[in-house]
Amino acid sequence: MLRDITLGQYYQTESKIHQLDPRVKLLSALVYIIMLFVCDDFSCYAICAIALWIVIRLSKVPIKFITKGLKTIVILLMISLLLNIFFTPGKVLFEFNFVRITEEGLIKAAKIGIRFILIIIASSLLTLTTTPTNLTDGLEKSLGFLNYIKIPVHEIAMMMSIALRFIPILMEETDKIIKAQTARGADFETGGMIKKAKSLIPIMIPLFVSALKRANNLAIAMEARCYHGGKDRTKMYPLKYNSRDFTAYFILFIFVVVLFVERFYVLKIFG
Amino acid sequence: MKLERKESNFSSSYLVSFDGEYMSIIKANNVKYRVKIKNENNEVVGHKTILDNINIDIKKGDFVAILGRNGSGKSTFAKHLNALLVPNEGSVLINGQDTSMVEELWEIRKQCGMVFQNPDNQIVGVTVEEDIAFGPENLGMSSEKIIKTVSHAIEKVGMSAFKKKSPNHLSGGQKQRVAIASSLAIKPECIVLDEPTAMLDPKGRKDVINLVRQLNKNDGMTIILITHHMEEAAIADTVIVLDQGKVAISGKPREVFSKIDEMKALKLELPQMMELSYRLHQKGKISRYDLLDIEEFVEQYMKDSRPAIDIYDKIGVHDAGRFGDIMVQSELNRIDEKNNNGKNNNGKTLLELIDVSYVYQPETAMKNIAVDHVNVSIRENEMIGVIGPTGSGKSTLIQLMNGLLRPSEGKIYFKGKDISGKGFQKKQLHFSVGLVFQYPESQLFEETVLSDVMYGPLNKGYEKEKAEAIARECLKSLGIGDEYFRKSPFDLSGGEKRRVAIAGVIAMEPEIIVLDEPTAGLDPLTREHLFYSLKMLKEEKNKTIVIVSHSMEDMAKYVERVIVMNGGKVMFDDTTRQVFQNSDALEKIGLAIPTVSYAMKRLKAEGYTDCDEAITIDEAVDVLSYE
Repeated sequence: MLRDITLGQYYQTESKIHQLDPRVKLLSALVYIIMLFVCDDFSCYAICAIALWIVIRLSKVPIKFITKGLKTIVILLMISLLLNIFFTPGKVLFEFNFVRITEEGLIKAAKIGIRFILIIIASSLLTLTTTPTNLTDGLEKSLGFLNYIKIPVHEIAMMMSIALRFIPILMEETDKIIKAQTARGADFETGGMIKKAKSLIPIMIPLFVSALKRANNLAIAMEARCYHGGKDRTKMYPLKYNSRDFTAYFILFIFVVVLFVERFYVLKIFG
Repeated sequence: MKLERKESNFSSSYLVSFDGEYMSIIKANNVKYRVKIKNENNEVVGHKTILDNINIDIKKGDFVAILGRNGSGKSTFAKHLNALLVPNEGSVLINGQDTSMVEELWEIRKQCGMVFQNPDNQIVGVTVEEDIAFGPENLGMSSEKIIKTVSHAIEKVGMSAFKKKSPNHLSGGQKQRVAIASSLAIKPECIVLDEPTAMLDPKGRKDVINLVRQLNKNDGMTIILITHHMEEAAIADTVIVLDQGKVAISGKPREVFSKIDEMKALKLELPQMMELSYRLHQKGKISRYDLLDIEEFVEQYMKDSRPAIDIYDKIGVHDAGRFGDIMVQSELNRIDEKNNNGKNNNGKTLLELIDVSYVYQPETAMKNIAVDHVNVSIRENEMIGVIGPTGSGKSTLIQLMNGLLRPSEGKIYFKGKDISGKGFQKKQLHFSVGLVFQYPESQLFEETVLSDVMYGPLNKGYEKEKAEAIARECLKSLGIGDEYFRKSPFDLSGGEKRRVAIAGVIAMEPEIIVLDEPTAGLDPLTREHLFYSLKMLKEEKNKTIVIVSHSMEDMAKYVERVIVMNGGKVMFDDTTRQVFQNSDALEKIGLAIPTVSYAMKRLKAEGYTDCDEAITIDEAVDVLSYE
């Protein structure tokens, strides 16, 4: 049951997108999301969608894989769509008792829906094409400037990568503890809220104890291998930009320019 | 490794002159280490001495094994070698540098790699390669150098094929080899291994020990191996026995192990061959009792006695083989009767698995048939062992037995009732077949020992008084006395926790108790106590016990029947003696037979005995004294 979580999943294949420097991908995803908010009309969304489609094709990740990530947010999406459809004031198109649908509401819902879907696809594309290690490396490098305001970027990145390593282990452990307590006659299914919450104690306490123990042991093991923070630390595969990455930055720049032209000039010319 | 030696010599070169001659790489001078004992209000109420005046001198290229009971200070000492701890008094010199004096701790740490017991808790990287690179990265090596170092280290441990794999997909033995590679990558002078094989199956254990041996022999790596396995200690150059923070005995393995009375007083085992030769020596059958391995034993035995065949020739029995067979058969029958061994066919069948299969993630690409059309029946008052290599389906099998998993195919009957069908209450089965998982102490959660053990009986619906009475009784039957009942289970020692956790399952009064590796990580004495308690449960309370284990010696000593799993199927299901006759088949799947059985086979092949069926030392002594 715990293995179904696909958060931050990586899709192994060789593609131009996979080969890009994680910093390029991080910045692109960020710019893309900002642009979706800055340029909020349908023609801009069309450009964004086409751009995203091209990137997906380049990445060789099957569409099925990407849409799988959307399933998890369907409910959230529906709620926000319905709220917008029904509660936006404006020109009434349809009215029945207290239900009222306005033109503005429909447009707003459509925009939010498109934006939402595009954001989710773009960010899952980021994790699908970037290994977790690369992603944390990329974050560490690109957020390096935060070091100057005393934010321990390296430590945070290290915590992230350790978390990534230990998620499957802790899930296995949880599974095992649930089984062990079930074998002792624990019942997690029947009873009211309070009883159910109480029945979690025999799982949570051992889980915390073991997580703390693991953390302690891991810290010792890391120290034994000469870990002393980010100072003077090097990387086996340091991030290096190459021509491919500069091309990508250039394309990103063109994309932004096109969107701005579309948003602020083309529209004005046509009315 | 040759290339690396040169570089590391740099740091030690000036120290050679300091000592004048051959350098000791590790030197502990009167090391004392204490921990504070605090009460509930965090006030210091006293001190506990963990290490008490330890003097140890380890030379470069030595292979040192450290033995001792749980809590004797072995691990604490190991941490001193890496400056993870520094002594309160005395000093530890690594390559001449005092660990408490150096400014940069990693200068010490890179000379002394460490490998710990639990492979999962020491692997940092998301892939094998990244993990091995972690040390070199910390030392600030250049990218090219890291890549070179990593591929060198990974080759050394024979894991090149797994370079880009996630450690989560490796077996325990493979993970431990990665951990060794990771410490090799910081180019240490010595490697300290703290019970590296405690969590491994026989094959993983063999791989790791062979690797360690190879590193010592071929690359001159100094090895410090902490272990509970006497057979592993026997291959070292030096054995140090710690007891209550002191060095109790030290010397060559032969010297140490032949101090038999002292070893017994320290509650440690002897390697099987040593024990056997000692016992035979007492009976006047062999002239030496300090024999460490099978070869030595067989050689000495042959020297001291004449081939069995000679005797028959002399007394004029022509059909010597047959005569011998009869003698030996009656001898083993006597043993079998004495131990109430044998198939125990007359017991009532309790649990029956008929053509049972279990498939993980069916209908996907990850489909995995863990248990494949298995037929097993478990009878009343049996003591059964389940053995098999990692991934052979043992854990799935035992989870099917107590209803945690429902079979994908086949039927399971408990006392004649079909429990694999939809109608049966799974919970009822949990109470009838108690399951003790591996490292059961990780399921403890209550405030006191007593209430933790009461959890099961209360779930069963017992009144508080009754639950408490049962809990008390179960704890006592496992040797946990009144004084522990109000303590927090988290304050107990490892062996005590283990017993409390097992009591927690037994308190549900199951008719069958299934235990997965109940003795993993315990010292010999605690192990023996636990097996004794289980035996008592069988004999006095008429329980059926099923034990999953990696220790062939324990199986031979304690269980009557062994089920061998391989690839999800039952390979053998027979009396322990019969199963251990199939040494070739067992070895093929990465298992083994008890050391003593190997020795007996050798003696038979040489014509010195007609019976190679003895599987425990007691039996071997009986058989060999009879000849």
